[in-house]
Amino acid sequence: MSSGKDLFNFPFSHIYVEKKVTDHPLTKSILARYGKSAVISIDHYKDVFNRPRQSYGLQKTSPSLILARNTGASVFKGAPVCQDFGYDYFYYTSCTRNCIFDCEYCFLRGMYGSGDVVIFVNLEDTFAELETLLSEHPVYLCVSYDTDLIALDILTGYISRWAEFTKTHKDLSIEIRTKSFRKDFYDKISPCDRMIFAYTISPQEIIDKYEKRTASLSDRLSAASYAMEKGFPVRLCFDPLIYVRNWKDIYTSMFHETVKHIDIHQLKDISVGSYRISSEYIRKIRKDFPGSSICQFPYENHGGYMEYPENIKNEMENHLVTLLQTLISRDKIFRIDNEENSRRRN
Amino acid sequence: MFFIVCALSAEAKPLISALSLRRDNRACPYDTFFAEDSSSVLVISGMGTVAAASATTYLLTRFGFCPEKDILINFGSCAGKAPGIHLVNKIHDEVTGRDFYPDMLYDLSSCGLPLSSEKALVTVSKVVASLEDPSLLYEMEASAVFQAAARFVPPHRMIFLKYVSDSGTDDPKKITSALLTKWAEKHISTVISVLDHLKDVTEDDGAIDEDLFLGTALALRLSETMRHELHQLFVYAKTEEIDMEKLLSDLEKEGNIPAKSKREGKEVLDVIRQRLI
Repeated sequence: MSSGKDLFNFPFSHIYVEKKVTDHPLTKSILARYGKSAVISIDHYKDVFNRPRQSYGLQKTSPSLILARNTGASVFKGAPVCQDFGYDYFYYTSCTRNCIFDCEYCFLRGMYGSGDVVIFVNLEDTFAELETLLSEHPVYLCVSYDTDLIALDILTGYISRWAEFTKTHKDLSIEIRTKSFRKDFYDKISPCDRMIFAYTISPQEIIDKYEKRTASLSDRLSAASYAMEKGFPVRLCFDPLIYVRNWKDIYTSMFHETVKHIDIHQLKDISVGSYRISSEYIRKIRKDFPGSSICQFPYENHGGYMEYPENIKNEMENHLVTLLQTLISRDKIFRIDNEENSRRRN
Repeated sequence: MFFIVCALSAEAKPLISALSLRRDNRACPYDTFFAEDSSSVLVISGMGTVAAASATTYLLTRFGFCPEKDILINFGSCAGKAPGIHLVNKIHDEVTGRDFYPDMLYDLSSCGLPLSSEKALVTVSKVVASLEDPSLLYEMEASAVFQAAARFVPPHRMIFLKYVSDSGTDDPKKITSALLTKWAEKHISTVISVLDHLKDVTEDDGAIDEDLFLGTALALRLSETMRHELHQLFVYAKTEEIDMEKLLSDLEKEGNIPAKSKREGKEVLDVIRQRLI
């Protein structure tokens, strides 16, 4: 894009509201926060979200917000490339689509045709769907899968609602993945050992280059540390590991920075994984982001998933695991084995 | 380039003059005007959806709309309660019941179009006698311009600018050409300001040095699949600002290029990959 920043509207300058959720309390509370935005009434969120030929990249500069009712299923089985941490019934839910952050490698760029953010205001229906599933078997659920729920919590209040729901459903464990700095909400919810907060940890150089608008490394570590202090199980995700020429230096520094701020022994567990993405997604991403080195990297296709060449992938993952093993037992470190599309503990 | 669609000559006249457009004297199915410096081209579609759709298609194909660089503008009059010129954020087609949404990415407040000036619009099949919903604008082409353009134009490259000429009338003859031109003139500075504001909105098309790529693919005797791999390496090199010409010239000096066989070409392709990453 060749023009200046003032070319674009402010984020959420336009809020599209499905007619059927106009009177929903969450719709009203979100609209009350955005008095200066243009509010546009729509029949169905897909009329806006699924428009052909949208520019995901430009929309991330000035995303619109779409408030909608999810009328279909909202709980799905986890994808093979996602870490399941040994849980048998691994699911994810999609109560929000897209994220206010702008990570250059994000799979959502390949999954969705739009960079706009959709909030499904009817979380109560997701809870009902989940109760049906819980009547059949225990569930391990990623609730911040298609978004960063903590980053959007100031609008939705979903973290406390998930906290309440999880506490009262003994067979439910949830993971909330984030790159946010926010920690104020930890004071408003009571600790639950089935509510795992998972922080993506990246070197500051990677954050600056590829994870736009996300919290700094020190802020993420500070938030993770605070969550542990408050009694929540915390997971650190060194995933995705991103290859750059000086990867060894920056990931080693990041490791030392991490252990300086976090009591590694108190962590629930750690995941380590180099960047990987479905070949279907990368095709779209490469077309949409021709100038992105991370998207255009010559990955190798392993069973439908694009990965770094074996030597790079192993070297990066092994390096970090070796560092971590000096401080934490092997059975707390999770890695993914994509070749067999199965998971293993390292 | 700006591709501008106006329904009537009377609406377009001040814009043609302000942009110093010249009539295209070749045999054109529509009155068409263009700027000498190729910065804009304008078509007079005529009234109604069928005319608007066909003229839009004509304009976009005849002058080769580029989705990474060009912008489509539909400028014209409408019926409405709030006077002035409005940026349209929703278009409802009264006949089909369908809705269309231009992507509202750009902040045009400095051009005199703040968010509060935005309106939803209804495309109707005849001049309205009264405003069914006073909060909306009513006109006769926008939904067709959008639908025809959607095949070529991304939604963030469509701008619909409508100025209010009346609040509905039983007698369309009362809205004369002279009046339409007079009201259009009042808003030309806003339109020009929008064009100026958006003139540099260009996106990366990922182009590589095609001659170098094709020459290398040939010299390495690559198969179709290997050509795709080489193309990907060229694109990656560009993103990392690696001098591909130098890298290939080094390989040539080392005697790796040209390759004597496809097998040898594949080996050189692997060397290129290794040097790039």
